[in-house]
Amino acid sequence: MKSSYNSHIKRIVLGLLIFAVVGFVAKMVLTPKSFGKYGPYRADAIDEEANQEIRHMTNASCLSCHPYEANIHLTGLHKTISCEFCHGPYADHVKAGKVYGKLPVKKKEEIKVLCLRCHNKAIQARPGEVIKTVIMPEHLEEQKVKVSHTCDQCHHVHAPLKYINRAKKIVGIKEKS
Amino acid sequence: MDALNFVFPNDLHVHWSMMIVLYPYLTGLVDGSFIVAALYYVFGVKSLKPISRFSLVFAFAFLSCAMFPLLMHLGRPERNHNMMITPSPTSAMSGAGFIFTVAIILIGLILLLVYRPTFVKLRLKSKGIMNILYRVLTMDSTNLSPESLELDRKIIKFLVAIGIPVATVLHGYVGFLFGGVKANPSWSTPLMPVIFLFSACVSGISALVLAYIVIKKLRNQPVDLGCVRTCINILAGFFILAFSFEMLEVFSHSYLRTWYHHAVEGLLNGPLFYSFWVWQVGICSVLPLLLLGWLCLFKMKASVFKFFAATVSIILLLQVLLMRWNVVIGGQLMSKSTRGYTQFHPEWFDKEGIITVIVLMSLPFIVLFMLSKIFPLWLEEEKASS
Repeated sequence: MKSSYNSHIKRIVLGLLIFAVVGFVAKMVLTPKSFGKYGPYRADAIDEEANQEIRHMTNASCLSCHPYEANIHLTGLHKTISCEFCHGPYADHVKAGKVYGKLPVKKKEEIKVLCLRCHNKAIQARPGEVIKTVIMPEHLEEQKVKVSHTCDQCHHVHAPLKYINRAKKIVGIKEKS
Repeated sequence: MDALNFVFPNDLHVHWSMMIVLYPYLTGLVDGSFIVAALYYVFGVKSLKPISRFSLVFAFAFLSCAMFPLLMHLGRPERNHNMMITPSPTSAMSGAGFIFTVAIILIGLILLLVYRPTFVKLRLKSKGIMNILYRVLTMDSTNLSPESLELDRKIIKFLVAIGIPVATVLHGYVGFLFGGVKANPSWSTPLMPVIFLFSACVSGISALVLAYIVIKKLRNQPVDLGCVRTCINILAGFFILAFSFEMLEVFSHSYLRTWYHHAVEGLLNGPLFYSFWVWQVGICSVLPLLLLGWLCLFKMKASVFKFFAATVSIILLLQVLLMRWNVVIGGQLMSKSTRGYTQFHPEWFDKEGIITVIVLMSLPFIVLFMLSKIFPLWLEEEKASS
């Protein structure tokens, strides 16, 4: 191709223009239709998200079918803890008002792992007066029980101090104030 | 050391980790090297000629990888270049897309025009794919008449001149993002863009000096001492400004006793004592300041000058990295409770771990190596081959 002194500049400018036009057309074609209706996002996304199947419910939903657990849970120190926190999502258990699947039950070592998710002293973020934290197996040694003991052998999982307070009452130990 | 005092549970984990340290570091290197190019092409600092083209290729290589750490942090590194094609004026974050797009197109155009005479020569010599590539890069024009070269020179000067504010905004913007986080008392200061900008210039010039000396040493080629001297003088100037502003920020904070000052003071004198006062300020700022003064003001043997120029560059590269670290990670060690500090443990095999940092930092060098196969980096090579 024959070129004059400024032909490369002309071609660069032409290239940039083509790039801009192609980019503009591509943006027009590829931008989803509902984009920008309410703001810089896809308006359809709101409906899509709102129509998602609900997976989590409140404690009231769980306890309406489990009155025995409700009785214990609502009187213990764990009363503010969500059922789903330990048992898993409601949707895995009930669908359209009917029992649909069994939620996994935590046992033995799994229980220990579950409890230590909150009660581990290594988590420095929680002050002692809000949540009791322990170091394992130091806590078991202090309480003079076997180190192989799991948490639920002394603590009721729904009301952690239920058995302990009852034992104290029977033996006649009074809390130091 | 464990977390100190009272830290909110959601403040325990440092969310903006090493990838966010790396991002301003990489864009900073782009900026600094572009400043060197600007000094030669716009302000006519003739002694910088030996590294003028290298600085542009260096800036281009680093800019092409600059957003990897950000997108790696978001978990989608393959969207690295999407940022350049999806800018939005309504978001402080994606607004950067405009600046990045303009910057990379600008540096690309400057490179094409600066290298045109070289490409024309290479095109006539090369065959096959390389010939096609050089035909495309020269826009299929072999016209090297004085008239044409004069037009190129004018356009290059104009483009680089536009490039200065673009590069300044590119990095000032990174500082602005940190300065704009109102909730963090150690970030929220209008000085942030200024500090980031000057330290960017420092890191970029240091990287160029170091790369120039090391590459020339490895290839057993002579180092242009005048060029290194000019670079060291400019580096000294920028470093004095960068260091002064870094210190001014701390002192104005502590003099004004602004909002939550006790938290910032406790941070700098507590968890950051070693990485800020000892390393960033002491070893990596005061020491190179003395060394730079000695290099700029006294006469010495060329070999001694080259050795200490490279040493100062290494220390300053570390200083800027430490500064990014202390700002980005240090700023997050404070809990919003303003009554406690958390800690950061870098991990080796994390998504944002040390291995990832090493891989990401080597990427621009791989790009630079590949570009050097197309863009001859040094003027002497070109003369020798023609």
